[in-house]
Amino acid sequence: MNNDKRSLTAHQDDFFSVLKALLVIVLLLPIAPQALAAGNAEPAAKVVNPGAELWREVRQREAPVAGTTQVAGMDSGVLINIRGEQWRQFRMEQLIPAAGALLGGVLGLIVLFHLLKRGLRLEHGRSGNYLLRFKEIDRILHWYVATVFIFLALTGLILLTGRVVLIPVFGHEVFSVIASASKEGHNLFGPLFLLGVIGLLIRFVSKNFPAKGDLGWFLKAGGFLGGKHPSAGFFNAGEKTWFWLVIFIGLTISTTGLILEFPFFGQDRPMMELSLVLHGVGSVLLVAGVFGHIYVGTAGMEASLESMTTGYVDVNWARQHHDQWAETCEAEGAVISGEDLAKKQRLRGTKNRVPDRPVAEEGR
Amino acid sequence: MITAFIDGPLWYFALAVFLIGVAWRLFAIFRSGSKPDFSVPRRSGAVSAFMTSLRRFVARHEMSPRIRLHVVAGYMFHLGLFALLLFAAPHVLFLKEHLLGFGWTPMPYWAFIVTSQIAFAGLLLLWLHRVLNPVTRLISDVDDHVAAVLTFVVMLTGCLALMEDFTGLRVLHRFTVELLMIYFPFSRLMHAFTFIPSRAYTGAWYGRRGVDA
Repeated sequence: MNNDKRSLTAHQDDFFSVLKALLVIVLLLPIAPQALAAGNAEPAAKVVNPGAELWREVRQREAPVAGTTQVAGMDSGVLINIRGEQWRQFRMEQLIPAAGALLGGVLGLIVLFHLLKRGLRLEHGRSGNYLLRFKEIDRILHWYVATVFIFLALTGLILLTGRVVLIPVFGHEVFSVIASASKEGHNLFGPLFLLGVIGLLIRFVSKNFPAKGDLGWFLKAGGFLGGKHPSAGFFNAGEKTWFWLVIFIGLTISTTGLILEFPFFGQDRPMMELSLVLHGVGSVLLVAGVFGHIYVGTAGMEASLESMTTGYVDVNWARQHHDQWAETCEAEGAVISGEDLAKKQRLRGTKNRVPDRPVAEEGR
Repeated sequence: MITAFIDGPLWYFALAVFLIGVAWRLFAIFRSGSKPDFSVPRRSGAVSAFMTSLRRFVARHEMSPRIRLHVVAGYMFHLGLFALLLFAAPHVLFLKEHLLGFGWTPMPYWAFIVTSQIAFAGLLLLWLHRVLNPVTRLISDVDDHVAAVLTFVVMLTGCLALMEDFTGLRVLHRFTVELLMIYFPFSRLMHAFTFIPSRAYTGAWYGRRGVDA
């Protein structure tokens, strides 16, 4: 009897021992892989994607190979086109750094120049007499193009450099909203810029053909590099150069923009890629030029902004920067006094009143 | 939370201000009446009112060279805005689902793009004319500029949200629309409702005296 009891207890102990062992195994099972990996276990057999070799072959061909497909469309038979990767590399590794260097460099040069030279001042102060330089329609056209261009430049730079500049600041989610809005706005306003450039061409082309004295103007850097201010007509050589840059680059980026925006007319991939490069490079060049244009039109040249606000310029400004044109106007009796200009502008008594008395040369 | 506020309480508040404000302004105008005219009318006031209302759609011959730009830009902007307001697909859907209960055929996508470009160009040219022309600059005040900028912003946010991919852009557009609706009755934007009565009144007044206004 006692033996039976002992035997039963022993069986129970054995049973519970096995149960404990099983429990430990079950509890340790989840961490087994880590334990094995940490140890010197045999590495698992490497599973090779059977399609990898095929995809590598498809991707690394010298040129895209067109297959057969029932999907109608440009390049629809091409499985993988390595040109996309080439464009991405060009954009990220060359275009964006170069654009940043150019725009930053131009801004830096302008700031440096302004700190050193403080811009071009009126040598003889204001005369208090005025000449009409730009008609109302010309000023409206100028500011129309300027407004549309600034909007396009901002949205375009967001699209070009946003991944590098904005994502680290705002994160992916916010940038996706900004980028979507920029894309819509850029595409919408693009054609309006083309109309503006055509308008500029029609209104100003006759005054922008090369003329005698333009070379001399270039050699003296337009008077910025000391010495006597070079002689010039209605537009000097620098303004003419800027005009033709705006026309040629403006038409180029407008045309390429339309090619990119409306890809329904049989444009193939190389044409789209070329358009992208021309659009990006041309736009960055134009933005850099606009920095200089804005500087010369404001802080860089005293009293020049008035030509695009009121349309009138001081006679001394005209004599200093466009002596041939000023001479012609004065010979024709086109000079008006500040008082007459104030009446014309209906500005008497308002904050925008044009000075109607000569500003004394003293104090300069 | 902001989205719910803009889509809900602010929308109803803006709608109420707009409707009550416009009705109040119109009621005040019509209630002010005019002095009794005891002279024998030389011509029907009603016919003159109608004719003047139509005639003012075209610039007077003597004035047309001087005002060509803002007549053309004015039509570009106003017709463009009218078309966008009533025939843009998201607007038609919104009116059907939230206000009217019925809809109509919206304009296609390409027409929306062209129309908005025309409207933007028109508004920009009009505003530039306002600030660059000495006369219009002198007679313009803050209200004119606020109305122009607010309208521009409403149109711009609408176009930026065109893809309808992001709630944030849609809500931004709706918020600017609500600001415009609240501002509308207290500003010169009221001319959207008063330009016909104004023309008719002038036409009737002059017509009774035998003058083509």
